[in-house]
Amino acid sequence: MKEKTIYEHLREKGLSRRDFMKLCGTIAGMMGLEFVPPVKAPGKIPGPGPEAVVAQALTTRPKLPIIWLEFQDCAGCSEAISRSSSPLLSNLVLNDLAIEYHETLMAAAGFQAEKAKEECLKKYFGKYVLVVEGSPTLADDGIYCTVAGKSNLELLKEAAAGAAAIIATGNCACFGGIPAARPNPTGAVGVTDLIKDKPVVNIPGCPAIPEVTTGTILHFLILGELPKTDHLKRPLPFYGNTVHDHCLRRPFYEAGKFAESFDDEGAKKGYCLYKLGCKGPTTYNACAGLKWERGLSYPVQSGHPCLGCSEPHFWDGGGFYQGQSAPILRLDKNSTATLVGAGLAAGAALAGLNAVKKSRARKAIKTAASEKVSSGTGEEKKEG
Amino acid sequence: MKSQKTRSAINTYLKETGGWVASQLEACTRCGICAEACHFYQALSNPEYAPIWKLEPLRRVYEQRFTVAGKLKLALGLEKKLTDSDLEHWSKIVYEACTVCNKCAHVCPMGIQLGPLIHEVRAGMAAAGVVPADLAEATEKQKTIGSPLGLSDEMWRERIDWITDEWEVEIPVDKAGAESLLVFTSIEIMKFPDNLAAVARILNRAGENWTVSSTGREVVNFGYFEADEELTRLFLYRVFKAAEELGVRKIIISECGHAYEAFRWEAPNMMKVPKGVEIVHISEYIHHLWKTGRIKLKEGAFDGETITFHDSCKIQRRGGIIKQPRELLGVLAPKSFREMTPNREQSMCCGGGGGVISIKEADSNRYAVFEMKLEQLREVQAGAVCMVCSNCRLQFVDSLAHFNFPVKVHGLAELVSRALV
Amino acid sequence: MNWTEIMNFSRGLLLHVSMIIFVAGMSYRLVRVLLLGWQRDRATNKGSKLKGVIVNYLKGLLVLPFIPWVRRTFRHNELTFIAGGLFHLSLFVVLAFGTAHIMVWKSLWGFGWKSLPTPVLAFFSSVGIISMIVLLINRLTHPVLKLLTRLPVWINWLVVFLPMITGFIMARHLWFRYEVIFSLHLISVSLLLIWIPLGRISHFLFYFFSKTIHGAQAGKRAVTP
Ligand code: HEM
Ligand code: SF4
Ligand code: SF4
Ligand code: SF4
Ligand code: SF4
Repeated sequence: MKEKTIYEHLREKGLSRRDFMKLCGTIAGMMGLEFVPPVKAPGKIPGPGPEAVVAQALTTRPKLPIIWLEFQDCAGCSEAISRSSSPLLSNLVLNDLAIEYHETLMAAAGFQAEKAKEECLKKYFGKYVLVVEGSPTLADDGIYCTVAGKSNLELLKEAAAGAAAIIATGNCACFGGIPAARPNPTGAVGVTDLIKDKPVVNIPGCPAIPEVTTGTILHFLILGELPKTDHLKRPLPFYGNTVHDHCLRRPFYEAGKFAESFDDEGAKKGYCLYKLGCKGPTTYNACAGLKWERGLSYPVQSGHPCLGCSEPHFWDGGGFYQGQSAPILRLDKNSTATLVGAGLAAGAALAGLNAVKKSRARKAIKTAASEKVSSGTGEEKKEG
Repeated sequence: MKSQKTRSAINTYLKETGGWVASQLEACTRCGICAEACHFYQALSNPEYAPIWKLEPLRRVYEQRFTVAGKLKLALGLEKKLTDSDLEHWSKIVYEACTVCNKCAHVCPMGIQLGPLIHEVRAGMAAAGVVPADLAEATEKQKTIGSPLGLSDEMWRERIDWITDEWEVEIPVDKAGAESLLVFTSIEIMKFPDNLAAVARILNRAGENWTVSSTGREVVNFGYFEADEELTRLFLYRVFKAAEELGVRKIIISECGHAYEAFRWEAPNMMKVPKGVEIVHISEYIHHLWKTGRIKLKEGAFDGETITFHDSCKIQRRGGIIKQPRELLGVLAPKSFREMTPNREQSMCCGGGGGVISIKEADSNRYAVFEMKLEQLREVQAGAVCMVCSNCRLQFVDSLAHFNFPVKVHGLAELVSRALV
Repeated sequence: MNWTEIMNFSRGLLLHVSMIIFVAGMSYRLVRVLLLGWQRDRATNKGSKLKGVIVNYLKGLLVLPFIPWVRRTFRHNELTFIAGGLFHLSLFVVLAFGTAHIMVWKSLWGFGWKSLPTPVLAFFSSVGIISMIVLLINRLTHPVLKLLTRLPVWINWLVVFLPMITGFIMARHLWFRYEVIFSLHLISVSLLLIWIPLGRISHFLFYFFSKTIHGAQAGKRAVTP
């Protein structure tokens, strides 16, 4: 039996053709196919236009199977999706456009759930998209994250084997995230550190911006491939600019007007948060463009400096409220004293050697002088 | 490879390199600004005459012997060790193209005491015996005969008698119980006897209880020019010994800059100096006599043609006797006294100090520098120039004659004595 | 290794190690010089050493770098003097009042202060860069400087210039991704910190020796330094 296409599915649910076309436009926008500043469009799409491309895909493709695994995480990324600014949209993606296995969100539990997953993996082998949330752990063969008796490494390998593409969502899955913060006791790593033979895309953030995750899923659904990425495998449409690039406080930055504390005049006037530790200049994320809660706001807008949550090891990059330029490792009083001591000791040692050389020179000069005197007038000898 | 010569020089540098030398060598940023301060560089444009370059031997020894970085540079072949030929090369530079005037120290943005440091470089040369022949000869004469000009004891006495007769002044010799001991230079006694007579006349008029000494009779210190520590001490010692024997309270240094430097600032750091004996320069002493009313001067005695004042490096810039001669000139020639520029601390050296004038090979350097002095004289249209150092005076007289430039040269004492009322 | 990692490395370990070398190296150098021994000056003073020292610092810090013609000889080297003075002024302004740099001081000392407006900083850093180029050209052409300048002196110039130019580019957000230019800035700063104890940039420390010595020498002789 031929699978139902998404379009057919939607029509069955009672969507009019007109609404369908509207939906296609929305989807195109979410994917960044249409230029929605400041999200970058990945070049020109061939064919009649973005909506048409989307419509074409939806009318010909069946629902996309998605398998969503969680490892060491807080489920914050899932939370973010389920409560995202556009619940309709994420509903749409997760219910209407895709068939989904999601351990946390699904109704089934225990053996039932395990069974459902196994069936899913088998049935859609080679077709499904694997979404990973949370970091796999390497230490002690991955026993720190075990589900149904299987270590997360096993689980990941097993699920990756049949995946058409893998989407790592959240800083944990991408780069290890909070679990990987020093001293990283569980040996947490990113998915890309383990899976080399499959197309993987990273959607870092803590949590990942839900629209970016869904947008990337849509991208795969509509265009059949993962979006173009940067050197950290982050989709360029969403990670092509820094938070700083499109920050609404930027004019204050340019003018050198900074909030010095969270409650000073500057903070009230909306000055730049650089001095309060903003990591915006080095953080590639779509916050400033897409914003959160239906475009309501984002951290910097609400008065909090960017933490750099979409960058590797943001947790270890110096204090959140410490300036970006502040050295990460600092010399405290004691180590400075030790260093000065070491320098002093070395200097004194050399000075000792030099003193020996000096006194030798002095002696040599004296001998030479006494020779000179014995052959000269001898007059100067009287003066010491 | 290293000869005894170089070894002596190196030993001297090692001995002299205390924190004082090292910290200043470390402070140099190689900005080259000092070059433009030096009259020898200004006149001759030889980059090797840059004051800081004159310190090369000292710097090299310091870095290579005392610092890790220096040893590293040696190992990497970035620098070479000091050799005999280096010594000879720099000997010409530090003796023939430096008057140790220390103008450079006032220009260096770091305030590095280049003059005194160059003196240390000379010390190494002196220890190695790499000193220009003329200078070494004069030093030897001072050591053996007692005067760099070779003036023997008898000749000295004859000259004193002659001056006494010729100028009709009394010059007490070896007078026990005198208050002050006047020590002057052989240059004065041979070439500028008028100056000596003038000083004698002033002191007599002031009722000063003074004397000259037949043993401590030479104020010039060629050991100090050479920077030979032992000889410097010896020549100072002769005068101090005479002072102690005569029981004076004061040593009056006549018109000689280097001598004043050696007696006033160096001696206490080199040797035991007689206690309670004050060192004064004749120009400040004359000023003192005038200020305290012991001599009276005819106001405006030399008004007429423009008269200017040449600041001697060791007496003005390094001696601090800046106001006094000007106040005196302000009385002697209130209308026609004009300052050359630059003046006071910033004045330009005449080019003959530091022993340069005694070295024949340095003559061309000396004259080249003097051309700049001529320029300054011309600027103020000086008819006469007055100074308080007979070494400068020698340079002026010789070079003015060389360039055939009609300006009269006076010692300050000479002017004062002529204006006594 | 990608630029993000390089940035974290240069902000972290590299800068840390270079600060260690800087602190230990400078203490080493200072003691080595101090312990060479100092002689007491026994000559009686004519004027006040202290006064000489104070006047010398005031003159050196306030007057000389900016008004080169106060001394007549400077007519020969106005360029070196003006460029040198402006370079130092700009360096101090940028290091002391640049926002990013204030954050460094704050992290080291626990307190910060207000920064200057960015356009003012931009002005000073361009002045600094231009004067460094002027100084370089002068060094390449002036006969005395050609004689004096050996490899280490060229390195001095380079390790100061690199942080200045990369900092300028970074603050203007020109050409590079921020983490790239940030890394380059910090790498060059680290180079500078490592080089300072080895080369002559340490003159900022010995300046206080020679400047004090000159002031005291002039003061004791009762002349203006
Ligand atoms: C730990 C040491 C340092 C750190 C962390 C640091 C960091 C920074 C940062 C982050 C900026 C860019 C500020 C912005 O984006 O607006 C900057 C600018 C700059 N830095 Fe540094 N810097 C350091 C040391 C230095 C040093 C030693 C120099 C000079 C020798 C220097 C010269 C500059 C200059 C010229 C600018 C441009 C300022 C402007 O035009 O506004 N920096 N620095
Ligand atoms: S990235 Fe942040 S929000 Fe997402 S799972 Fe990790 S810790 Fe939670
Ligand atoms: S608040 Fe942060 S992101 Fe915004 S301009 Fe300032 S530094 Fe850049
Ligand atoms: S002391 Fe005088 S003569 Fe010697 S280098 Fe300095 S400026 Fe030139
Ligand atoms: S002026 Fe001073 S700092 Fe500059 S090169 Fe000469 S001695 Fe060195």
